Amino acid sequence: MNAVKRFLNNGDINRFRFWFQVAAFGLLIYGGFLAVDLGNSLPAFSCVFAESRAGACYLYPLQHQVNMPWAQFLGGRGVGFAVGLATFILFFILFNKAWCGYACPLGTVQDWVSKVRTALGIRFSLYSERTFRRLKGIKYLLLALLVLLPLGISNSLVGAPKLPHDLATAYCMICPGRTVLPIFTGDISQLAIDFSSKTMTVLTGLGMAITGIFFAGSFVKRRFFCLFCPMSALQYAFSKAGLLRLTKIGAKCTRCGNCSRVCDVGIREIADDVTSKNIVQDDCMMCFKCVAACPEEKCLTASFLGIPVYEATVEGFANRARRRNVHG
Amino acid sequence: MDKERLERLRKTTGVHLAMEAKETLRQMEEDFPVHPAAMQYFYEQFRIAYGSGGANEDGRKRVGTLCVQVPEELVRAAGAVPVRLCSGAHAFDQVGAEFLPAKSCSLMKATLGMLSLRSTAFSGTLDLVVNPTTCDQKKKAGELLEEFGYRVYNLEMPASRDSEEAREYWHRSVKNFGAALERTTGVRITKQRLADAIRATGLARAAYRRLHGLQQSRQALIRGTDAMLVTNAYFFDDLDRWTGAVNALADELEDRQDRSVFVAGKHAARILFTGSPPVFPNLKLPLLIEQAGGVIVADEVCSSSRLLYDLAAYDEQALYDMVPAVADRALKPCTCPVFSSSQDRIRRLLDLAQTFSADGVVYQTIAGCMPYDQEQRTVGRALAAANIPLLLVETDYGPDDHGQLSTRVEAFIESLRGKARKRA
Repeated sequence: MNAVKRFLNNGDINRFRFWFQVAAFGLLIYGGFLAVDLGNSLPAFSCVFAESRAGACYLYPLQHQVNMPWAQFLGGRGVGFAVGLATFILFFILFNKAWCGYACPLGTVQDWVSKVRTALGIRFSLYSERTFRRLKGIKYLLLALLVLLPLGISNSLVGAPKLPHDLATAYCMICPGRTVLPIFTGDISQLAIDFSSKTMTVLTGLGMAITGIFFAGSFVKRRFFCLFCPMSALQYAFSKAGLLRLTKIGAKCTRCGNCSRVCDVGIREIADDVTSKNIVQDDCMMCFKCVAACPEEKCLTASFLGIPVYEATVEGFANRARRRNVHG
Repeated sequence: MDKERLERLRKTTGVHLAMEAKETLRQMEEDFPVHPAAMQYFYEQFRIAYGSGGANEDGRKRVGTLCVQVPEELVRAAGAVPVRLCSGAHAFDQVGAEFLPAKSCSLMKATLGMLSLRSTAFSGTLDLVVNPTTCDQKKKAGELLEEFGYRVYNLEMPASRDSEEAREYWHRSVKNFGAALERTTGVRITKQRLADAIRATGLARAAYRRLHGLQQSRQALIRGTDAMLVTNAYFFDDLDRWTGAVNALADELEDRQDRSVFVAGKHAARILFTGSPPVFPNLKLPLLIEQAGGVIVADEVCSSSRLLYDLAAYDEQALYDMVPAVADRALKPCTCPVFSSSQDRIRRLLDLAQTFSADGVVYQTIAGCMPYDQEQRTVGRALAAANIPLLLVETDYGPDDHGQLSTRVEAFIESLRGKARKRA
């Protein structure tokens, strides 16, 4: 048991994650070819517009399911909504936010773009603390719109007239997942502006612009899009129930900042917060790079069902440092 | 100073220094007979450095540093060798007393005293002296050093390390320092060179961590004074050779652990040492503690753990990520009392006391050191709240207070006896 633990703690999480992401990308984007179907409540951008996907991102059905009159929430369609949400929550709490760091195809694409950048020797940019705090609220706004717009199609919200049907999956229309992920299946038809109506023109036009920003942004900034992701906001509501956890023992922390510096999303609390035990923030994608960068014995721990699976250890840190020049 | 007088001063100081060093080494070697064999390497290093004289010279440029906050990785990446200049010699203390204010601390007087003599036998040839703007006394030392004829680089440091502004300022400061190093050595700091330097210093620090971890042993495997000598040797020793020697020491201690060979009894009071740094040959207080029957199991001083404990990690192997990494390593975890907050130091002390099962804390303030003196209050309160006995000692490099100190230290160790017995 101790030998297994030591092996894991000495491991290089980055290499493991790279290959895990490749496998997860393959499964979620091409799994359909093998008739894999994981349902349509996945807590990751396994986009419905990619035909060969192995399961669908929950945000698409969510928008459809809330698009009904208030009264129906208590009827059969309401049950459908509840089942969808429950399935999503069950999927989510299994791996918590590691869905973002290990499985989300759109996240993986961003990591690949970063790999291109590092290969070219171009530096990443970072947000100042103030900008970061300002921007991180956007994902909650997007999540609110994502639910309110479809609701407003079937209902009159606060006395306003009902919204046009073209807003049914408004978020999907602006999501870079819809435009980017089908490309990997050879389908570039989403890279277009739909002029069928004014609403669609605006939405798909916005979608094209956001696609451009997505590539440019993730080229200069690690995990650029994740800071704005409404899925991340939705997930965070259930994060405390997650079976996979990231915890910190504040007394062991020297606040050296290694964890925060290697963090792709740029979370500062991971280094500065020395009181919280559960250290998962809304932007955290549970990649556990922080654990690998922490040189304090058991200060940071990733655990599944209370069993430590990856812990910060002095030995592990030293081993990774020793191997560093070999792997670059 | 006229030439003749300088020559005379160099000579007499050299004699005093050699006597001092010899006496400290004698006490260390003779008073505690069961040393690990691997300690011989370190005794020898000090015998050479303080006896026959002559710092290690190998043709590489030498960069003197005055505080732990200088990122040594950059110095090494620029092809130079860092040499920590802080001195613990009473002989130099007396030289410095001639031109520094009476209230200066012994460490300042000794360090500047040594440098004022400009003798290569003491500090070697220095191509650059880096002076981080830490405490007021060090800050003002820069101008004096220039007066002595050194090339000085004042490494500007923020007064606090919690805010983002402080960190940004420090990162800029360190970046400029890198450029200054390149100008001094004529070697460009490339990403490969810096990666190698981070790796080599990281391995040295990992070796120190092994030693540090072994000090947690319920019964002491190594004397605290020996451990301090090991870290003190890092001031001037060759990096890879030092790492090898520390690993050899750790191997031997692990072997001794298996064979249950200890250097102190089960009931020996375990001491956590903090405060102003005990720098060789001034190991007066640590030696008194261990002569009184205590054993120093951990320390929180800038000549030992604070110098070597922290490890840098970076994400992308490129200068834009590695330079901030070494800058953060030098600043963010540093518990030096010159920073505005003492909270991290308190947290560190409480954690060390717990993980090393310390029975008590000895807090050394070298007379004249304002920051440590002032932090006694907050630190003392926190330790009292955690029920950890504390001995506050104000001393200097002189031998005058030896008798008085030994009485106090003995009484303190004696008072811990009950606690130590209960723990064992």
